[in-house]
Amino acid sequence: MSGGIPHAEALAAWRARMPAPARALALPVPELLDCFHPDHRPGAIVPLRVGASAGLPCRVELAALLQSDSLVEDVDIAGAPLLDADVLVIGGGGAGCVAALTAARAGARVILATKLRLGDSNTVMAEGGIQAAIGDEDSLQRHFEDTLRAGHFMADKALVAALASDGPGVIRWLIQEGMSFDLAEGSERMGGSLLRRKPGGATAARLLSYRDFTGLEMMRALREAVLLQPGITLLDRHPALELLTDDRGRCAGAALHDLAQGRTVLARAGATVLATGGAGRLHIAGFPTSNHYGATADGVVLAYRLGAALREVDSFQYHPTGIAWPPHMEGQLVSESARASGAALVNGLAERFVDELSTRDVVAAAILREIAEGRGILRGDRAGVFLDTPGLEREKPGILGRSLTTLAHLAQRAGFDAAAEPFLIHPTLHYQNGGVAIDPDGWSGVPGLLCAGEVTGGLHGRNRMMGNALLELVAFGRRAGHAAATDARVERPRNIGLNHLADWRRALIAQDLPLTLKAPMIFPPYGNFNMATERGKAA
Amino acid sequence: MKVLTDERICVGADLAAWMAAGAAAGLENALADPAGIIPTIEAAGLRGLGGAGFPTHRKWSAVAAQPGPGKWVVCNGNEDEPGTFKDRFLLSRTPHQVIEGALVAALAVKAANVVLYVNPREAAAVRVLREAVTQWEAHPLFARLSEAIGEELHLLVITGSGLYVGGEETAAVASVMGGFPFPTLKPPYPAEKGVNSAPTLVNNVETLAHAGQILRHGPEWYRGLGLGGAPGTKLFSLSGDVLRPGLHELPMGTSLHSLVFEQGGGMLGGKSFKAVFTGGPSNTLLTADDLDVPLDFDNLRKRGSRLGTGAMIVVGEGTSILRKTAEYVAFFAANSCGQCPPCKIGTHQVSRILERVEAGAGRPGDLQALENLAELLPGSGRCGLVDGAATVLASSLKAFRGEYERALRRG
Repeated sequence: MSGGIPHAEALAAWRARMPAPARALALPVPELLDCFHPDHRPGAIVPLRVGASAGLPCRVELAALLQSDSLVEDVDIAGAPLLDADVLVIGGGGAGCVAALTAARAGARVILATKLRLGDSNTVMAEGGIQAAIGDEDSLQRHFEDTLRAGHFMADKALVAALASDGPGVIRWLIQEGMSFDLAEGSERMGGSLLRRKPGGATAARLLSYRDFTGLEMMRALREAVLLQPGITLLDRHPALELLTDDRGRCAGAALHDLAQGRTVLARAGATVLATGGAGRLHIAGFPTSNHYGATADGVVLAYRLGAALREVDSFQYHPTGIAWPPHMEGQLVSESARASGAALVNGLAERFVDELSTRDVVAAAILREIAEGRGILRGDRAGVFLDTPGLEREKPGILGRSLTTLAHLAQRAGFDAAAEPFLIHPTLHYQNGGVAIDPDGWSGVPGLLCAGEVTGGLHGRNRMMGNALLELVAFGRRAGHAAATDARVERPRNIGLNHLADWRRALIAQDLPLTLKAPMIFPPYGNFNMATERGKAA
Repeated sequence: MKVLTDERICVGADLAAWMAAGAAAGLENALADPAGIIPTIEAAGLRGLGGAGFPTHRKWSAVAAQPGPGKWVVCNGNEDEPGTFKDRFLLSRTPHQVIEGALVAALAVKAANVVLYVNPREAAAVRVLREAVTQWEAHPLFARLSEAIGEELHLLVITGSGLYVGGEETAAVASVMGGFPFPTLKPPYPAEKGVNSAPTLVNNVETLAHAGQILRHGPEWYRGLGLGGAPGTKLFSLSGDVLRPGLHELPMGTSLHSLVFEQGGGMLGGKSFKAVFTGGPSNTLLTADDLDVPLDFDNLRKRGSRLGTGAMIVVGEGTSILRKTAEYVAFFAANSCGQCPPCKIGTHQVSRILERVEAGAGRPGDLQALENLAELLPGSGRCGLVDGAATVLASSLKAFRGEYERALRRG
């Protein structure tokens, strides 16, 4: 971080000038993004050299993992206990739960393997809400168009159409599963009608929510449903080390590592659903992240090694308002609804410097520009800008206590009063826009392998719209779960093993890539964790 | 030196191109002196390259000595064992080379019925062969052959069941007659009583391809191709943990070290060498102590193993011998024709134990049971299928017992 204005000084300036005057954004948007967006930095993007998507531009940190060797060898799985299922679901977040529920209800025997515990995921952190075109003035077509536009028209239209069409059905399903939604004021008497708000970039009010912890409420309902569903075997603390193939090259399950017992087990399945989420914990470009501890791109790495094609793996979303101070809360999100409700962003000179309601990439780049050009605010070794929550509270008294409860709670944990002091914020790595390319049923192109949720690409183009992530995980979790159960009925894998690894290693050697780097990462290395040395030791 | 896989003779089904490459000279030489064919083959020292290594001229003489007419030649291209992929290459890339060899054989033994017996799963090979055969039938050489044999020559492409057991010679005969490929007891050998009870010569694709070349270039040339007294070249199907797997044609007698570390580009990822399953994987494992062994029939036999089809499945550190063995025994169990109870039940029993040990569900006594079965089973079937399964089991148990014990502890 370059120089800036010390926190105390900036705080004094902000107090003296409030409300802060706006300074014109002197730089046009394309130049702003080119100069200051992390994805546009020189050296940030490299072409992939091996695999089904060789040549595709990719973030350098992710490319290193994608082009690495496996953690397991054939000898490691000899004598490993074998578990049998029709459908193996890897990932215990929203998409994994939905896929497991759907497959089990279609009659499949399901193993649900999670790296941490059921529900430890980014789903629980989704605050804003879930989109679905249920309003009278709204339509599936408008949802489709809004999503395409937000993704700079780079999304796969078939996927977006599937997403928008599933929306209303998804909401009905979630209500049946027991999830609560905010109701429109005064509608309680007739059973209530859902409260709809307008998400950024949409042409209609279609964001449904539950307070500002919609994802947590969704996960609560899904978690209970999974635990009560017969036919699902839940394996907590069983990260996937490698996918298995049968003698026809079809995906036939996965080698899992039982962290508690320190041993590898094999889960054999007719169809495998990857729902492993994103890559925030790679801390791309050195950014803090809003993602949970397990978001290490495992699924993309495993699917790519098996031959699945990827897309838009050079595109990540940086959320503008992550906490910069105190350091132990670095990266945690301050909900977008603060800005949506009218909270301003203020630099060290007590000026507003950007339209706070622009898209996330623009706002994030503008914040980074302030910091880079010395107008940021320094506190300890952290730099950021202010999110003016006191100004918001003054304008709309009571809003912090009423609808921004999580935000107020965050400030409390950080040791200050959000109504009296502004947050110091910095953009935070938030979402992986790309991932494994899929078709509308969730098939990855590799027989036997489906993907759902953040691990997939193609739905969001190069920028995700708020509220579409929660919808995606339910819509595509259901599609993948259903397709997996149908397919697994006619598939019985034989001669399972790691047959794909020899060819993969030959490809790495042919490109002079080292076999010393092992992936997936499983957990971030700063927790003194290295899966390559960890195996064989009990937790 | 590449003979069978020379780029210039990989002309596909195009007979004119094959003739233009000067390649039919072998058949011309044979027609000029039919009685000299078998002595030429004998002088060259050609042996059965389908796995047995039986001297080819002795088979040919046996059939030639039988009274005609109505004798048969079966070119055995049923190849189906794990890790072997040489015949499909010859059949689809240089079919005329194989056909010419088969015609030389037919002339030598005076058989007017020549069958190209192919695995139906090799669709490309079947298609190319059918096209190649129609071109031969229209060629003047074909009529001259009929005349020399004294009967009207028939050249047929027959697709069998595609089952592994169909590669055994008596099973091949049964397949050609349209039946299920049940191997039968020997004797009688096919040379006495084969297709339609007529004397029948069964030779592997690679053997016949060499026969044509020997007639063209002479036995001295053929003997000169090999190393250390072994004649000719051999197609090695190299697979497993090597950098460059694939089909390698090398002088007979090339060392295992040279095959793996020079032709194969060395071990994948610089891992250390553990063992080789030789083809198709029904023989005693070669280990690091055997890296110096010249790969030919006699030298491998001295080490207690066999050359087999020339399939070399290399296993490096990191790959489990137990898992590989389980996979191959499962293959044998699935491919037992079921005629002989010891084979049907024995291979299944071994496979069941191996699979449960491999899946971490081994039981006390499993290791002893495997040893017992490895001792009991050999020699108990009409054909060699059960022997192959028992050999690969016994040798992996002997050389890598630690892996079995570790898997039993892990479960």
